Amino acid sequence: MTALLASPLSVVEVACAVLSAIVLVAYLVLRPPLVRATKVWLLLGLGVFPIGAAFSGNVQGFEATKEREFCGSCHVMALHRADSDDRASGSLASRHGRNAMFGNENCYTCHANYGMFGTILTKAGGLRHVWLYLTEYRNTPVEESKKTIKLREPAEMNDNCMLCHSTEATLWLKVPDHRASLVDTRAGRIGCASEGCHGLAHPFFQPPSSAGDKR
Amino acid sequence: MSPLRIRRWLVIACACTLAALALMTWQLFDPSVWPVMVAMSLGQVLGTASLAAFGYVVFADFRAQRLSKMQNPNGKEPKQNA
Repeated sequence: MTALLASPLSVVEVACAVLSAIVLVAYLVLRPPLVRATKVWLLLGLGVFPIGAAFSGNVQGFEATKEREFCGSCHVMALHRADSDDRASGSLASRHGRNAMFGNENCYTCHANYGMFGTILTKAGGLRHVWLYLTEYRNTPVEESKKTIKLREPAEMNDNCMLCHSTEATLWLKVPDHRASLVDTRAGRIGCASEGCHGLAHPFFQPPSSAGDKR
Repeated sequence: MSPLRIRRWLVIACACTLAALALMTWQLFDPSVWPVMVAMSLGQVLGTASLAAFGYVVFADFRAQRLSKMQNPNGKEPKQNA
C-alpha cells in the first residue's frame, strides 16, 4: 500500500488498470453484441486505459530500477545492499547512501553512465546484468560472487565522482594528494575509490586490477 | 469472419489484457528485478497484441458490413456480429 501511495503515477496506473478490468470483465460476463457502443467500450478497455496503465507503469518501473531495493533484489548484490543499508558502515557506498542527494538511489547515482545517452546506456547495461545473472550467477553462492564480480569499466567511475566533486574547488585542491594526482584522477588513471585513496566503495569489493572476469 | 470467431478473438484479447494489467500492477507492489522486467516485456507484448487483435476484429467487422451493403444495397441493414 505504501508503494501505491508513494507516487501519483502509481495511482494513475492502478486507476487505469481497474477501469480497464471493469470494462473487460463486464464484456466477458454480459457478452453484448458487437455494436458501435460495444466497440467504443472495448476501445477504452483494450486500448485507452491499458495504454494509460502501461505508460504510467513504465515510468514508475524505470524509477523503480534506480532504487537500491531493486539493485539488491538479485542475491549476488545482497552484500552490497546490506552494506549500503548499514548506517554504521564507513564504506563509500554507505556514506553516500546516507547523503540525501543519493538516498535510496545511491547505487544508480554512482554507477550510472552520464551524458546525453547515459540513462539508455545504463539501462542497456542493466539488461546485460540480468543476462549474466540468468546464465552465470543464478546459482552462484554470495561468498563466491564477492570474489568474481568486478567493475566492467573502472576508469569511468571517476567521471561519476566528479559530477559532484568537480576537482576544481579550492578546498579540494588544498589536499596535497589531490594536487599531486590531479591529471591522473581526471583521466581516470587513478580511481577515487581505490586502495590508497578513498578506499574501495564496498568493503569486500575486488579491486579492478585483480584477476577475474569483469562484470 | 464469423461471429463465433469474432467472439473468440475478443475473449482472448480481453483475457490477455487482464493478464497484462495484472503483470503491470504486480511491479508496483513488488519493485524487484523480475516483476519489473516481466511487466515491461511480457506485459507490454500481451497488451499490444490484445489491442492489435481488437483492431483486426473491428477492421474485419467493418469490411464485412461494407461488403454486405455493396452486395445488397437496397436490403435490410446487415445483422450485427456476435
